[in-house]
Amino acid sequence: MPDGLDGELLERFVQGDQAAFESLFRQFEADVYRWIVRIVRDRSAADDVLVEAFWRAYRGRAGFDPTRSFGAWMRRIASNAALDHLRAARTRAGWRTADDRIPSAPPPDRAIEESITQAFRSLPPRLQIVATLALVEEQPYAEIAEALDLPVGTIKSRVFRATRLLRKELARLGITT
Amino acid sequence: MTDDRQLSQLLRTALPSADIPEPSRDLWPDIVQRAGMRERVSAADLSVAAMVVIALLLFPRWFWFLAYHL
Repeated sequence: MPDGLDGELLERFVQGDQAAFESLFRQFEADVYRWIVRIVRDRSAADDVLVEAFWRAYRGRAGFDPTRSFGAWMRRIASNAALDHLRAARTRAGWRTADDRIPSAPPPDRAIEESITQAFRSLPPRLQIVATLALVEEQPYAEIAEALDLPVGTIKSRVFRATRLLRKELARLGITT
Repeated sequence: MTDDRQLSQLLRTALPSADIPEPSRDLWPDIVQRAGMRERVSAADLSVAAMVVIALLLFPRWFWFLAYHL
């Protein structure tokens, strides 16, 4: 088995055995949680996304192939749940185009950090997730591609687009990189 | 330092840390509760389904009437 897991445990999970599901949850909770935190960067949001991810895994258990890696499958589900969280957070925050904001004079350190965070949060969620994982967490492209179930080429192009958008926005805010 | 490295460093400085090793509490009860909430069929739903089945067995001609109203 790819994760060193008991094949019977995975079979029982697929059949809906709650004890098997709990056992898998206990084994993978920390790893999945750390992955989610890297993306959402917020403790309480990460708790919610973790519950959502394991709930989705349980709901979609019939689609899991017990001969494949449970960890990789779970990470894909967690990435999608985290992406949905970013989309919802963006919707809640309300959409503002970059041009709505008025450029200001070069601000002090704390204000610079806030501007960078603002520029980062203004990225579309699908770019934000790859930018977080590639630029901030420095995860290998292949690992990001597997977690998001996308080709490596797509990840590279999204990182490129995210970088370009970030630079443009930061330049507008008076921060040069 | 390359431009990309500089940008990465700026982002790491500005964004909140991801150094949180585990959830704030045991989240298993939340998952069980959520699974239960979605999967449980309420007693009211079961009663309605049973009544429909009984009605159809006793009065098969009601099929179209029930199909229209349900």
